[in-house]
Amino acid sequence: MPERPRQHFVDQLAELEERTMGGIDLVVMQLDRVLEALTHQDVELAALVVADDDRLDGRYLEVHQGILSLLALQAPVAGDLRIVAALLHVIKHMERMGDQCVNICKLIPLLGHEPPVQPAIMERIMSMGRSARDETVLSRRAFEERDVGLAEDLVRQDREINRLNREIFQLAIECGTDADVREWGMTMVMVARALERIGDNAVDIGEQTAFVVTGLFREFSDSSHPAG
Amino acid sequence: MRPHPTFTREQEQQMSSMPSDRRDVAAAPGTAAAPDATVATQAGTGHSMTVRGLDAYYGDDKAIKNVSIEYRANQVTAMIGPSGCGKSTLLRCLNRMHEEIPMARAEGSVLLDDTDIYGAGVDVVSVRQAIGMVFQKPNPFPTMSVFDNVAAGLKLNGVKGVDMKERVEKSLRGAGLWEEVKDRLSSPGIGLSGGQQQRLCIARTIAVEPRVVLMDEPCSALDPIATLKVEDLIHELKQEYTIVIVTHNMQQAARLADTTAFFLLGEKIEHAPTAQIFSNPTDSRTEQYVTGKFG
Repeated sequence: MPERPRQHFVDQLAELEERTMGGIDLVVMQLDRVLEALTHQDVELAALVVADDDRLDGRYLEVHQGILSLLALQAPVAGDLRIVAALLHVIKHMERMGDQCVNICKLIPLLGHEPPVQPAIMERIMSMGRSARDETVLSRRAFEERDVGLAEDLVRQDREINRLNREIFQLAIECGTDADVREWGMTMVMVARALERIGDNAVDIGEQTAFVVTGLFREFSDSSHPAG
Repeated sequence: MRPHPTFTREQEQQMSSMPSDRRDVAAAPGTAAAPDATVATQAGTGHSMTVRGLDAYYGDDKAIKNVSIEYRANQVTAMIGPSGCGKSTLLRCLNRMHEEIPMARAEGSVLLDDTDIYGAGVDVVSVRQAIGMVFQKPNPFPTMSVFDNVAAGLKLNGVKGVDMKERVEKSLRGAGLWEEVKDRLSSPGIGLSGGQQQRLCIARTIAVEPRVVLMDEPCSALDPIATLKVEDLIHELKQEYTIVIVTHNMQQAARLADTTAFFLLGEKIEHAPTAQIFSNPTDSRTEQYVTGKFG
């Protein structure tokens, strides 16, 4: 006899959540490689990130199919239904974060062997990358621990990423008249944009945590109507 | 409104002050007939029931404990809960069937609109005419034809002055059965399929034009197709009647009911819109029950 009613369903749901959280771990691993490849202009490592995105896509498909099966066969309701609905969002955000890592790594070969690195911009790129990684780790922990306070703190951290993104854009505009430098600067704007989107996805995962706990979906910050 | 011969004059006056027919509202200039149940509640054809502080006993055992609940007009209210939680007992209290069981009694008030059906001088038979009931197992009269089964409700209640053929056809149409049985009205009712028999019983119930229809697990003895037909019928019936249904099938409650009430150990734990009960219940015991963690 099972330990408690619907034990099989409980186990299936727990496994789906574990696989989803594992997907976020894969994103963190990819982000570490992205920052490493950017620092050392490592084209081979960048190619590995692009190739490894298949693992994230596979995880997305696996969890997505698992959720469809669970909905069809187990008809989850109430708190279980909220977890299933949230996982569907979280796994999509995970997949999008992986795509942003790929977007960055596809830019690295375009920079050349000895790109005209501007330290002021590069420092901010690295800072953004570390913050995006921290946010991703935090979003995973908040979801796993159903910690709404921790999830809400993601917004504060994301403001720092947004600030750095704006600064990089301004520095790229002001980086001089040399064509190579300007091209490098514009490429870094695209890298910054991808990192900024990863931060946004982490905040989105935080919002799903709040939904699971409270049953109400709310955006932590309204980018359409920013305050002040 | 159809006058009810066995309520007192005062009770009749109370009932006649109820909201006008929804069709009248829809026909009024500049007034749209809204499809949602909330508007139907405000100006529907049906009638609401209100239970206040109800206790029900089997001898010394208290099966219902101080339950208060409102069944809104033209809505389907589902009552769910584990076996022995009191939901069927409460249903039977709603048309005073509970007191028919030896040693059983109920205390508190049950209002049909503004009239307490447990009030002094209220005729029990008239209560059951106004608040009809459909049971778990189809129970057509075995020796009667399809026609007579529907007409039986009228005859037993002493309803006179109606065109019996017209009323039987109207009831069978209302129960979604007319097209299937119109050519065999004189055949035995017992010869119909299980699902048809249950719809025949629903036709018999609505033939006396009740205000409220109570249903005690009406689909539990039916196959899936017959179940869906009865569920479709319940959707249709709520346009005319207020419906209270007891079911063990939570998916059925989710499909059918506008609001759902969860009961446990004789107490009402939570009553809320069905979507809320099945997505974000307030009480942890409701959550545990609907997710199948106990019961």
